[in-house]
Amino acid sequence: MGASSLIVLAIAGIVFSAGGMMIAKIFVKGTKNPQKGQAYESGIKSTGTTWSQFNVGYYLFALVFLVFDVELVFLYPWAVVVKSVGITALIEIIIFIFILFMGFLYAHKKGALKWI
Amino acid sequence: MEIIKGVPLTSYILLCSMLFSIGVLGVLYRRNALVIFMCIELMLNSVNLLLVAFSRYYSDSNAQVFVFFIMAVAAAEVSVGLAILMMIYRNTKTTDIDALNKLKF
Amino acid sequence: MILNDFFIFMKQELMLLFIIFLLLLIKVGKDRSNESLLYLINLLLLINVIAGFILPGEGSLFSDMFRTNPLIALEKNMLNIGTLIISMQSYSWLKSHKHLLEFYILMISTLLGMFYMISSGNLLMFYLGLELSSIPLAALVNFDLEKKASSEAAMKFILSSAFSSGLLLFGVSLIYGTTGSLAYAEITSHLSTDPLQIFAFVLFLAGFAFKISAVPFHFWTADVYEGAPVAITSYLSVISKGAVLFVFVSVLYTVFKPLADVWYGMLFVLSISTIIIGNLFAIRQDNFKRFLAFSSIAQVGFILVGISGSSSMGTAAVIYFVLIYIFSNLGAFGVVSIVSSLTGKERISDYKSFYKTNPFLSWILTIALFSLAGVPPAAGFFGKFFLLIAGAEKGNYLLISIAALNMIVSFYYYLRIVKSVFMEPNESPIESLTIPLISKVALYICLLGIVILGLWSVVYDYIFTLSPIF
Repeated sequence: MGASSLIVLAIAGIVFSAGGMMIAKIFVKGTKNPQKGQAYESGIKSTGTTWSQFNVGYYLFALVFLVFDVELVFLYPWAVVVKSVGITALIEIIIFIFILFMGFLYAHKKGALKWI
Repeated sequence: MEIIKGVPLTSYILLCSMLFSIGVLGVLYRRNALVIFMCIELMLNSVNLLLVAFSRYYSDSNAQVFVFFIMAVAAAEVSVGLAILMMIYRNTKTTDIDALNKLKF
Repeated sequence: MILNDFFIFMKQELMLLFIIFLLLLIKVGKDRSNESLLYLINLLLLINVIAGFILPGEGSLFSDMFRTNPLIALEKNMLNIGTLIISMQSYSWLKSHKHLLEFYILMISTLLGMFYMISSGNLLMFYLGLELSSIPLAALVNFDLEKKASSEAAMKFILSSAFSSGLLLFGVSLIYGTTGSLAYAEITSHLSTDPLQIFAFVLFLAGFAFKISAVPFHFWTADVYEGAPVAITSYLSVISKGAVLFVFVSVLYTVFKPLADVWYGMLFVLSISTIIIGNLFAIRQDNFKRFLAFSSIAQVGFILVGISGSSSMGTAAVIYFVLIYIFSNLGAFGVVSIVSSLTGKERISDYKSFYKTNPFLSWILTIALFSLAGVPPAAGFFGKFFLLIAGAEKGNYLLISIAALNMIVSFYYYLRIVKSVFMEPNESPIESLTIPLISKVALYICLLGIVILGLWSVVYDYIFTLSPIF
């Protein structure tokens, strides 16, 4: 462990991302046309400006995601100490996730998670 | 890890004070609510950096836990702020806080 | 940690958590009518108030993060009572509101945050409590959903509260840097008059001054109070401010005791400017909520006078005053709340010859305003009197005489309203209102509180025996 594992991680990261791109380069048959150079919109020719108004549902998703995503940051310090603390840590994290789950239920009830 | 300790603490304090001052000035001068939120984030992040630096210096992990909490609270603050901003945008079609002049002395 | 201690020490917090989860479950389940829900919630809050008085323990939990003693339990009970009164007063506004349960969930969450803040023994706990008590409040300020002024006020509130907590956090990080700890007990033993520590303390104080709206940091107050729904305005001006004041006193008197000479000068300037500016602006207001906002700024100035004396009765005087302030300010806000929700009128000039149509409400308003002004038989006089005595401990008679002079100025603008209620003619006075029974009971509680606290000295003696000696 220590610095050597970091180096291994870095090398593995580079190999994975660079390898993926290399494989795509080799195996994908390249065709070029002007349509392809444009902004991608599900294969349909894009119309109008990109500054169009989005449905308000997207913002709700973003807000809900923002909150829940950041709450999960607490799982990292928990994961570090869970072995040494033992069963108490397990109970506490279950309470924590239960509280988050109540928030999730509320969001579900309000229809914030319904696709438009 | 040695590199982090190699930088003297004064440099951290200076950097954080500068970042914090930029944030404060941004809050006071900028007129767009989104930019003000960004400046508040800058203030909070400079505080986070300072706390982590002190925590390394004292070899005490309490402040690092504090940083986690500040991050979570800042996210909650921003999401409530953005929700309010959406309400305002619905009413006024702008995020410029100079439009918020209905209440005055 | 023994599980038994946990339930005794944290019973008030656990009670609130239970109410929050119950309301969330009701919300997730099938829809119910607002009226039955309102009765259920008021009943729950009443049980909460009563349960708070049982078995106040003394001790600390979670390695001194959370501590409690009978004084802290008393402070929490006061906030509980205030919340119950506000909830009862806003009955007619909430009866037709679409998001009733959210309103209560958010409001009780902020109350929970205040409880954690009051019993914090660590800066981390204090910060979390402070944020829990201010972020949901921003959503509450926005609760008149279709009014533009309401969301505008919410924006101003969340921007200023985030900014102030940023300032406070920078102070906290510098305090941590110079003392090496976040726990109150260790911070005190490492404090000296080191310049960096004083700088950190100034930032910390600025954060506090924002929250209690002391004068250089008061700009958000009037706007937010005017835009917010009346129930939230009264919550902001009484409960939220009271909780921060409790913490302010205990932090200044215990944690920052080594810096007493430093903060005395700062509080001197803060209190004088707060009283004068609050009074001067209150004179020229016509909106009732704005008027009460500036009057509450002036009241905070008086409280700061009491704190600055750092005498043995400082803590007791502040808590006693806040208790009186809860009853008298909620009396005034209760009348405004009922009138505003039934007729939509919020201007002071609308209240001309209010007495002819609504004698009961006018008497409540008059007594509450007398108490706020500090006219002798009402409780407010004794509150201010004790604050001034506590402030006189340092022998700074300039401060005391300025405060006393301002008390006379404040008579003018409070009694001006009483005069217009009773004497001035009005072609289109507010019609005779039928008050819901539950709001009427709340107003009677306020009236009773004002009268009893002024006449019965046992309450002050009880607070005094509980409070620590400086």
